[in-house]
Amino acid sequence: MLKRYKPFLRAGAMDTLAFRFNILMWALITVCEVACLVFLWLAVYRSSVDGMDAVIHGFSFREMISYVVLTTVFGFVTFNNSTLWNINTDIKKGTVGNYLIKPISYRGKFAATSLGSLLTMTALFGLPLYAAALLVLSGLGFLPDLAFPGFFAHLGLFLLSGLCASLLNDTISYVFGVLCFYTSSGWGLNSLKETLISFLSGTLLPLAFFPAGLRDVLSWMPFAGMSQDPVLILMMKYDLATSLRCVAVSAAWIVALELFAKGLFSRAVRKVTVQGG
Amino acid sequence: MRYVHLYFTCIRRSILSRLEYKKDTIVALSSFFFSNLCSLAALYFILQAIPALAGYSLPEVGFFYGFSMLPIALDHLFSDEFWLVAYRRVQEGDMDMFFLRPVPVMFQVFAETFQPEGFGELIVGVALISVCASQLTVTVSIGAVAVLCVGAVFGAVIITSLKVAMSALAFIFKRSGPLLQVVYNFSAYAKYPLAIYPAFLRALLIFVLPFGLFISLPVDTLLTGSHDPWLLSLAIIGCAAVFFALAVWVWTRCERRYESTGS
Amino acid sequence: MIEVQDLTKVFRKPVRGSGLSGMVKTLFSRKYDEIRAVDGISFTVPDGEIVGYIGANGAGKSTTIKMMCGILTPTSGSVRIDGVEPYRKRRQVAQNIGVVFGQKTQLWWDIPLVESFKVLKEIYQISDADYAGRMAFLGEVLDITRFLSQPVRTLSLGERMRADLAASMLHNPRILFLDEPTIGMDVLVKEKIRQAIHALNRTYGTTVVLTTHDMTDIEDLCSRIILLEKGAILYDGPLKSLKNRFGNLKTLTLTVPAEIRAETAPRLSPELAISEEDGRLVLRFDADRLPLEQVIQYAFRELRAMDMKIAEISVGDVVKTILEQQEAEHAETI
Repeated sequence: MLKRYKPFLRAGAMDTLAFRFNILMWALITVCEVACLVFLWLAVYRSSVDGMDAVIHGFSFREMISYVVLTTVFGFVTFNNSTLWNINTDIKKGTVGNYLIKPISYRGKFAATSLGSLLTMTALFGLPLYAAALLVLSGLGFLPDLAFPGFFAHLGLFLLSGLCASLLNDTISYVFGVLCFYTSSGWGLNSLKETLISFLSGTLLPLAFFPAGLRDVLSWMPFAGMSQDPVLILMMKYDLATSLRCVAVSAAWIVALELFAKGLFSRAVRKVTVQGG
Repeated sequence: MRYVHLYFTCIRRSILSRLEYKKDTIVALSSFFFSNLCSLAALYFILQAIPALAGYSLPEVGFFYGFSMLPIALDHLFSDEFWLVAYRRVQEGDMDMFFLRPVPVMFQVFAETFQPEGFGELIVGVALISVCASQLTVTVSIGAVAVLCVGAVFGAVIITSLKVAMSALAFIFKRSGPLLQVVYNFSAYAKYPLAIYPAFLRALLIFVLPFGLFISLPVDTLLTGSHDPWLLSLAIIGCAAVFFALAVWVWTRCERRYESTGS
Repeated sequence: MIEVQDLTKVFRKPVRGSGLSGMVKTLFSRKYDEIRAVDGISFTVPDGEIVGYIGANGAGKSTTIKMMCGILTPTSGSVRIDGVEPYRKRRQVAQNIGVVFGQKTQLWWDIPLVESFKVLKEIYQISDADYAGRMAFLGEVLDITRFLSQPVRTLSLGERMRADLAASMLHNPRILFLDEPTIGMDVLVKEKIRQAIHALNRTYGTTVVLTTHDMTDIEDLCSRIILLEKGAILYDGPLKSLKNRFGNLKTLTLTVPAEIRAETAPRLSPELAISEEDGRLVLRFDADRLPLEQVIQYAFRELRAMDMKIAEISVGDVVKTILEQQEAEHAETI
């Protein structure tokens, strides 16, 4: 059964490798972005009442920098997803119909491609980047010493929550992709999706900084599990019980969103307006 | 005169295309709006935790942030097609039509897209400036207002020039989108007061990629009277003239290298 | 007038490894293949002529056309359109040529067709009177008036091609380049497009250079063909004399007793090709080399033919045979 999806798994892996130059440029862009944030946080902690030793909303300066670095790496490895664009292209070219008659599910195809991309990225970039980041950060004393064997439990939960994050991202991309049936174009929906995720997942700013009410609501939403929770698990800021709870919430959301997406897709297909005839 | 008329004809066409996807345009406009609100909210949440940022109060930081949106928004309105040139059109050989017409290619790229999303940024920026300004206690001189206007308008010229020059490199390397992105993203640095950066970065942001020159320095001039507004205006206009001339030069040189795809 | 002199175009293409391991390798090294797409061709097209530019896929047709309209620069040699090299003075030449690439459209996808025309009117500085006159003429010849207010993306392939032809003719260019103008269309639509090209050529004296895979296009439209193989000219001249060039080819179709088979039949000469089609034997040969009389005798005596049909191979068949051979070789090299 799973064999049918193998070509797509491969395609996802190939796309990821295709442009070495892009990856270099991405690294440059990212270093600039991270540097900008580091200077901002430096100014913030310097300006705080307690100076550089301040702990703001549970984060010391060093933890904050670690958080910024690790969310960036996490985003690069995990959110490598073109599901929304592919659906948009299929809609514009009117090729969605072709998939409805093939013996593979439209949803399954994208999930396989995304997983292929996640596996390649993790193997090729994720492992060295995480290892380097963790070693450097704990070497500088930005992170507590990697206390074994407790670290392995966190690492395992981190990988699990990373997988959940990738699946959540793919599912949400798919839902927004299906919404393209209604707007006929993907530009707007894509930027809406990106904005939502970067703000609500804690990528832009840890959710601890948000007002209490909003924070409570967000802790039960699927977004925190897409960036903040995995990174805090890896940083061992969460104990095992909290970590398990996060993974459970993510898993529950994957199931719920998949069901929602299924319903949405069959509704959308019924009103397919093929473009271009 | 001919080109003014032609420009409006093309822009009318661009807006018509956009209106074909009304729902998407509405979603795009609101998501842009929303995205700006999110960044602002994040900044607000951070500043809640501290008394002031490097000596700047909350409304002052907000003013920087809001003002930085103006030149970016103006650039966004008129030159969005260059992103596509840098990322896709040259690589896919999709510039052929521009080269088959008896009108300069750069003009056609400008005229291909008018991006109404820029208005969203403009509105948020002006609103933020207004709110923050009402909470400030500074004496506003004519010179300060003048240098802010110059910074917004000629700053847009500088951003557009950088965009033109960077996307022109696609004619040589087939794809220059990421490079354009690197340069363009430095505008993010100018959202905050220059005081939070180390000296070399400040120098970079004033003399090399001059986002600081036309965003941070004019705002500093308003808040603290740090610079002579008329001299600063002159510097910004001169800088814009140099950047624009360089951009046109780079573009015309690179444009000759364009080749369609083989088959 | 179009003058092409020793035109050559060489492409460098990075060699990509296949499969996942090949991908990883290209991540670290890059080799290039040189491909001579067009190899030293020369010809001249006088004003008002319709030239069929034909060849198999990959023979270099599109590459030549793109050099003639200035969006590819020759590696060596030159193209002159009325004395000007298009890749040097692109804007000057652009006013005098019209281009249609069958696969791509120059019309804006999302807006009503007429809006695209309005933009082109300004781009080419067409006066109101000229615009009205040409729209009337093109509207009639190409039958586009009916769908002027529809967005281009809703047009059928044939309608879109007619719209594209109109767009390329709006500024009354002296030369029209058409790359596969009838590709993917049904017979009736092809016919309509051919009539339109004829009408444009007659009314405005427009020079037309077109590439096509369709033999009827060539037979209907082109007074002259240029046949291209692997970037070099194989034949350049009127369609009629192409046949002589490749000999006086004839086919004999025979009804023979069941025991006579193509493989086992006694041979007359290596010049004679024998095949079986629908239970009959088909003999192909060049009558200039192997006298018809001799073949007929052989057919009756050796093959015991009971019935016989003699046919000359049509020009279309000649070209088709050449193109098919090229395609086959091309397919093998890939």
